[in-house]
Amino acid sequence: MRRQISAWEQFLHQLGLVLVGLFVLLPIWGMVYLAFEGGTMGWPSTFRLWPEEPTLRIFQQVWAQASQSMPFLALLKNSLIVSGGAMFFSVILGTSMAYAFARYRFPGRKPGLLILLVGALLPPVALMTPLYVLLTILKLRTTMLGLTIVYTAFSMPFCVWNMRSAFQAVPKDLEEAAFLDGAGALKTFWRISLPIALPSIAVAALIAFLIGYSEFAMGWLFVDTSANVTVAMAVSGALGVSTFSGSLLSALAILMSLPVIALFLILQRYLLDRLLFLSVGDQT
Amino acid sequence: MKSFRVFVYVLCVLLATFIALNLRLRAVELLPIDYDEDDYLGAAQRYAQAMRAGDLQAIIDYEFNYEHPPLTKLLYGLAIAGLPEAPLIPERPSTDAPASVLPEPHFDVARKVSAALGTLEVLALALLNPLAGLLLGIHTWQIKYTSQIMLEPLPALTSLLVVLFYFRARQSEKRAVLWLGLSALMLGITAASKYTYAIVGVAVLADWLWDAYSPRRADQPKGSPPAAWGQIFFWGLFAIIIFFAFNPRLWADPLERLSQSVFYHGGYAQSEHVRRAGFPPWQQLVWLAGPVPWHPDVFRVTLDLYILIFASVGFKRFWQRYRVFALWLLLAGIFLLLWPTKWPQYVLTLTAPLSLSAAMGVQTVLQNIRTRPRPAARAPILWRELRRAWPWLLPGLVVLALIAFYPMIFQAAMSLTDFNTISIRDGINGGVWREVWRGITGQTEPLVVDLWQYFDRFRRPTSTDVHYVGFSSLRSLFAGGIPDLLVFNILWAVLSVFLQAALGIAVALMLNREGVRGRGFWRTLFVLPWAIPEFVGALIWLRLLEPGRGWLAVIENAPFDVWLATFWAAPGTRLLLLLLAATWYGFPFIMLAATAGLKLISSDVYEAAAIDGAGRWQQFHFVTWPLLWPLVMPAVLIRLIFAFNQFYLFYTMRVDFPTVTHATLSYYAFSPTFGGQFAVSAAINIFTVVVLVVLILWFNRRSRAVEGVTYA
Repeated sequence: MRRQISAWEQFLHQLGLVLVGLFVLLPIWGMVYLAFEGGTMGWPSTFRLWPEEPTLRIFQQVWAQASQSMPFLALLKNSLIVSGGAMFFSVILGTSMAYAFARYRFPGRKPGLLILLVGALLPPVALMTPLYVLLTILKLRTTMLGLTIVYTAFSMPFCVWNMRSAFQAVPKDLEEAAFLDGAGALKTFWRISLPIALPSIAVAALIAFLIGYSEFAMGWLFVDTSANVTVAMAVSGALGVSTFSGSLLSALAILMSLPVIALFLILQRYLLDRLLFLSVGDQT
Repeated sequence: MKSFRVFVYVLCVLLATFIALNLRLRAVELLPIDYDEDDYLGAAQRYAQAMRAGDLQAIIDYEFNYEHPPLTKLLYGLAIAGLPEAPLIPERPSTDAPASVLPEPHFDVARKVSAALGTLEVLALALLNPLAGLLLGIHTWQIKYTSQIMLEPLPALTSLLVVLFYFRARQSEKRAVLWLGLSALMLGITAASKYTYAIVGVAVLADWLWDAYSPRRADQPKGSPPAAWGQIFFWGLFAIIIFFAFNPRLWADPLERLSQSVFYHGGYAQSEHVRRAGFPPWQQLVWLAGPVPWHPDVFRVTLDLYILIFASVGFKRFWQRYRVFALWLLLAGIFLLLWPTKWPQYVLTLTAPLSLSAAMGVQTVLQNIRTRPRPAARAPILWRELRRAWPWLLPGLVVLALIAFYPMIFQAAMSLTDFNTISIRDGINGGVWREVWRGITGQTEPLVVDLWQYFDRFRRPTSTDVHYVGFSSLRSLFAGGIPDLLVFNILWAVLSVFLQAALGIAVALMLNREGVRGRGFWRTLFVLPWAIPEFVGALIWLRLLEPGRGWLAVIENAPFDVWLATFWAAPGTRLLLLLLAATWYGFPFIMLAATAGLKLISSDVYEAAAIDGAGRWQQFHFVTWPLLWPLVMPAVLIRLIFAFNQFYLFYTMRVDFPTVTHATLSYYAFSPTFGGQFAVSAAINIFTVVVLVVLILWFNRRSRAVEGVTYA
């Protein structure tokens, strides 16, 4: 019964999907139009669906000079260092914590998990002042390492929650079998649990990456040379300047989104299989 | 034993009434003269004159303030009729500023009448449930408007009596007609005191019909009207007769004068005076979410926020026990939501059922605590496990302790001080810790600062040193000091996550249907919004929707520009625009989670359902949804946290003064209008965390109930 679908149902489904598709595409198209239209200063004053003369000029301009004489690739490099670093740290540290939470029944485990989440209940901007003070004391405030550490702390709790459920899903028999074969705790983890949980770890990594990649308010607080500006900061900065150009902003935003979209398309299969966050019920 | 219980019950009723009376008499002395008090007292004075002169025609034809029926004003007039004459209050438009002084002893006596009526209402509710009576007695809005010369005290009392008498009639057949008659009498008086309170009659009607048509009465032959209709007819007729009898103004030319008086309100609700107040549709919730903010020293107890919370907790039990009251609360709530005039005294239409629901909430919570299951069934927790676990935990814990928990503790410390931009040097160099340490160890007295001082540019702290202020900021916040933000934030989180989940799950279901063409293409397309960073997404929407220069606004010969401008101007419609953007950005996440979940539901279940002859809707209701929800729930929870803290959307959409209170708490704490008052930001953050923890625990509990299956 579920295999067949009548023409009428097909039509209804496609209609619904087209409507949602329009909803999704409408704003994106406004952005794309503006970027290819080229030379709009401020916002455009007339409505068109299609640029009169599509041009890549503004992309070339942004590519060469995205923010204060910094080329786009330099900004992207900064973004990748900061958010990639945050991703790296939160996955390494988070995996280890998640494994402990999934495998060992130590006292304070459940409250610990909750307290962990409390650490992530506030967005980074809310904790600006204390972080400012802290990183000043540590003499890390104006470094990219400081920013990396901040992003790490905010993405780690979500990573732990996500990966814990993946580790819980690893059949205990497999681990015990490996243990009986004489493998130590570390080896069991490395050979058995980690490969099975890998897709979930990839998803957690993606989320950690996104948190750092799209953050800018903290960035402006901690970065004080134009050499350390990230892409997200450049986009938010382009919004506020007096020589504001809609085209430039749109081009920058599109360029910023492209790497993420690419990453999504590559990881789509994983995403579909592993987005079952925090598996249901405590399997203990 | 029984007599002892009766004794305790009577004691509780008397105690609640006594407390209520005391608080009201205190408010009578301390409250300043409010809007409209001069109008009503002035009317009362003229009625009193006419009564002394025995001039009935003067009472019938008294024109001033005709938009409100005269009964309450007549009552005030009766109370002051025996008093010595005092100068008459001039009749001025009711939108004028309140009078600075009103003639004594009329003013004092009229206020005491108001307090007496308010106390009687508490007594009436306390007889039904003493705790509810107590809660009504300490509700600050209730105290304020039943201590001033307002129209509310009489209809608030009589509307409660309408339901009480009706409830009594439904409980026992004995003398039911008498109780119903009393209920109709009270309904007539209610309508003759203030129109809006007559909503209680609709609630009674709804409850009556509910019973008449409920499945339990299915034994009645179909097609014949239930016997209730006859009773209802006479009940309503009697109420209408009473309404006219107690409304002397209608004795001459009834229909003309009635329509004149009633239709005034429709026009007034649309008037400039109301619109300029700029209240959002949910404003009445905001009033209820915090104590009366204007007279901080009058009210001893400020538990309004918690009465609201307990009322929502207890609503289920409330519905089961006192359905007619619950219907009253619901209908009055819907009415207040839709009615454009948002003056705070209107909340009195529902404070009585609200208090009763809150009392049910307290009982529910107490019962939950008492019947908590013992954690005996769980496997033992082993200390030696900790020895094996700690190497795995240590590195992460060190980083978290440093970067996530140190700031939290520092925030907590900051919230006990007056730390701000002016004292930033001292604060950063250890001043916060110094002051908190000295404050907690009792070496310094806390500086007296109230929360509102930080919001006032001219009263902000100006010292370059940090000072310990104790728990004053936190106490103000937890007493409901920022109800507008709190209500908006919760409304925002719930609505935006609901829309995201609805769209996300609907799309996932469509894409899950085999045979639909182009599923891979659509799915890839729909993931796009998630892949675009949040603030870029918000920017795109701003680009589309901004009035004046957005993409839609510059379409020529189309009304979008005007529409968008009006949409942005009103808080209710602006919320819709922001929700549009939030849904766009958030639904792909839920869609992916739901798609992944649907994959796990095996097709065997559906085949079994199909064999049982389940239709499409039944399949969804009984098979798909119960299996899917627990799988999607964690994703929903995560979106809930994100939505509650949504920052970039509001930042990019340039939500600014004065609408900054229609944004999330985290945006507000950051917002530049706030001017670097770090201490208050910190206090708001602490408040946010507590609210979120409560929300998450509540959500977890609710969804566990649905769970039922352990899948995955």
